[in-house]
Amino acid sequence: MRIANEPAQAVSAQARSRESSGYGVFRAPLAEHSAGAFQDAGTVVSVERLRLKFPGEPEIYFHDLTLHVPKGQKVLILGPSGSGKSTLLQVLSGLIPHSVEVPMKCDRIQRPASWGFVFQDPDTQFCMPCVDEELAFVLENLRVPRQDMEPRMREALSRVGLSFDQLHVPIRALSQGMKQRLALASVLLLRPETVFLDEPSALLDPEGTVQIWDAVKHALHDRTVILVEHKIEAIVDWIDRIVLLDEQGRLMADGKPDDVFRHHKEAFVRYGIWYPEVWDEYLASSRWKAICAERERSALSPACCEERQSAMETAAALSPPVRSEVSGNRPQAVPEGATSGRAPLAPNRSGNTPVLELAHFEAYRGKHCKLRIDKADVAERSWIAVTGENGAGKSTLLLALAQLIPTSGRYVLRGRTVPEHPKKRLVPEGLALVFQNPEMQFVADSLFDELALPMSKAGLKGDALAEKVKRLLQQFHLPSDSGRHPYDLSLGQKRRLSVVTALAGQASVLLLDEPTFGQDARNAFAILEDLEQQRMEGKTIIMVTHDRRAVDHFATEEWVIDKGRLKEIRKISQP
Amino acid sequence: MSETLAEWLVPHKTTWLHHANPAWKGLLLFLVMLVLFFSRDLAFIVTMACLYGGLLFLFSGFAYRKLALLCLPFVLTFLSSSLTLALFGKGEHVLWQWGIVKISEESIRSGLVIGTKSLAIGMISLVLLLTTRPVLLFYALMQQFRFPAKYAYGFLAAVRLVPIVIEEWQTRTHALKVRGVSFSRGLKGIYERLKLYSVPLFAQSIRRAQRMAMAMEAKQFRMDAPRTFYYETSISKTDAWLAAFAIGTLLAALLVS
Repeated sequence: MRIANEPAQAVSAQARSRESSGYGVFRAPLAEHSAGAFQDAGTVVSVERLRLKFPGEPEIYFHDLTLHVPKGQKVLILGPSGSGKSTLLQVLSGLIPHSVEVPMKCDRIQRPASWGFVFQDPDTQFCMPCVDEELAFVLENLRVPRQDMEPRMREALSRVGLSFDQLHVPIRALSQGMKQRLALASVLLLRPETVFLDEPSALLDPEGTVQIWDAVKHALHDRTVILVEHKIEAIVDWIDRIVLLDEQGRLMADGKPDDVFRHHKEAFVRYGIWYPEVWDEYLASSRWKAICAERERSALSPACCEERQSAMETAAALSPPVRSEVSGNRPQAVPEGATSGRAPLAPNRSGNTPVLELAHFEAYRGKHCKLRIDKADVAERSWIAVTGENGAGKSTLLLALAQLIPTSGRYVLRGRTVPEHPKKRLVPEGLALVFQNPEMQFVADSLFDELALPMSKAGLKGDALAEKVKRLLQQFHLPSDSGRHPYDLSLGQKRRLSVVTALAGQASVLLLDEPTFGQDARNAFAILEDLEQQRMEGKTIIMVTHDRRAVDHFATEEWVIDKGRLKEIRKISQP
Repeated sequence: MSETLAEWLVPHKTTWLHHANPAWKGLLLFLVMLVLFFSRDLAFIVTMACLYGGLLFLFSGFAYRKLALLCLPFVLTFLSSSLTLALFGKGEHVLWQWGIVKISEESIRSGLVIGTKSLAIGMISLVLLLTTRPVLLFYALMQQFRFPAKYAYGFLAAVRLVPIVIEEWQTRTHALKVRGVSFSRGLKGIYERLKLYSVPLFAQSIRRAQRMAMAMEAKQFRMDAPRTFYYETSISKTDAWLAAFAIGTLLAALLVS
């Protein structure tokens, strides 16, 4: 960790006294400073007594927030979603009020002389189609002469680890990680003294996250950096200072990372921040232990699924299932219906037939075969994690299973063969697909109608319908006011709503495209637990994900897709 | 899908038309189209159609088959409009009549005029579309015609968003299918589709536009301030030749008529 000069020259005496009376423990690692010391030349960004109000919303944000950032410091701003972290960055840089009109007031504000801003969404940071044109856009704004443009472009690109033979590459051909690095390169062209980063890795997969943080650490090591981020594992050792805000942007803590961690751990958990030990702590928690116990009890643990799978295979080979060596060394959870001495899963149990069978299965986009699966079976109540590199064909698999794209080959769902070349392709019954962007799936103007649509299709009406809607809303922690518009919900709530609408119908096989992507820790665990609960109730889950830990702990099987082929089926055994 | 479309529209050979100043070319050809639009002399129109058809097939840098395919809609328009007028138009020197069908010299003539006119205008617009890069067009507009930068870059940003919106349209179609939403037929179905597609697509597009505008301003884009240009466009000899060609075709066609 970089030792900065006086990293916590953060708060004036006035504010500190307010803090210590208000919000619990606040640590100032160094001795007292007088208010006068903050107007010195070392401070590059500062604001005093900031308050802000969004038009149309009743809350006031920041409540007289005061913040001083000295030159060269790396500051991380943390807080729950909706606490105004991005807004704070926009205020400090000047985007508010110069580009975005939001009423704000402060006693004093000092903005950096030169600054750059990297945004969260890789796709909407660029206004030009090609890499060179986008970088040139920045240079044009700076009135750099044409002949100096190309060398500067190449220099900026090399600083972030990108290099192209010729720069006229369309931006849409780049991966998301490369796009964010390109955004950083265009910021570097501004030669900024301070760089603001607004969750640059939020919409990146693990590979892209590594790329962007490496680029940030390499290129910005000598500048002032103020960043907002939720997944802090990769940069927590690089930053000097953490500023923790609460739901309304009030300053909860400000100081060295270790100190803030120690004293505000429960806030970190409550706000769903992805700090380094978050998974380990979850696996040691009582909730996880309850899930494990439940799995044992209903014979749903991965090892049991494996048994069932091998039982299926031996049954298919027309030999009596041999149970002894498989069940011998486990504390056996005997499923219902089995009598002692006999195989726990008899060949004619419905649990033996796979809920989904694929053989010589191919999926097409246009004329090209984008995915090929030689043979794969999905056992009932299993949780399949589909992994692979970007563009390998994982989403194609989900679209193919839902018959949204043409397929060929054998595809049997619950004993019913899905026709290969039907006149009109229909989504197979009993299957539901949840897309990555929840808003794409909303069809109604209120929560009630959203849930009522699949349920009325399933035959529910009137009071029974209303009752079930209420129950589902409660079960999934959605607002009980069922007249609310779906777009009015928070991101986590929208995601849960899209999962619930898939479950509300008769679907027994759930396909999910990256359900935990871009979610904070709390929401991510909640979604995984909800899916586990659904598994308990009999559903089968097929999920595309990049989240390694989710695969290792929640899934029963992993399908690795590589370059359009199912490369490997890996059974996951419980530790 | 939009990627393959973009690839398909890349010329296999660049010609002098590609090197002409895009804004100047646009203005010239637009004026030619305007003249064509108001003309009623069949000989004039036919000559222009032949001359610009020649320009399209010889100098746009695309294979003849591709061009023929692109001209197909215009040929269909030609056939439909000329036939309609020929069969049902007003006229005195009637050649053949049966029921409401009345073929006369005048009606044949006016049918041919309209049909050839639409074909000619179609081919000139193809010349423009196939030999102009949008980015260069806006740079030329800003530099040669003093087009305000804020509109030019606004258009360019919008061009960048179009493929994204197309993909989102597709995702929305898939999602609606998964949710089991089916549309009624005819006009009611169109209204339903409008309602169900416009809300998410608009919401996403507005958000994206806002984010893009903020990103542009964060890159120090000041709308009315002077700037340098990455693509420096100019008026050159090629543009003079193009003007000469345009005037030449007009004169030649006038002479024939």
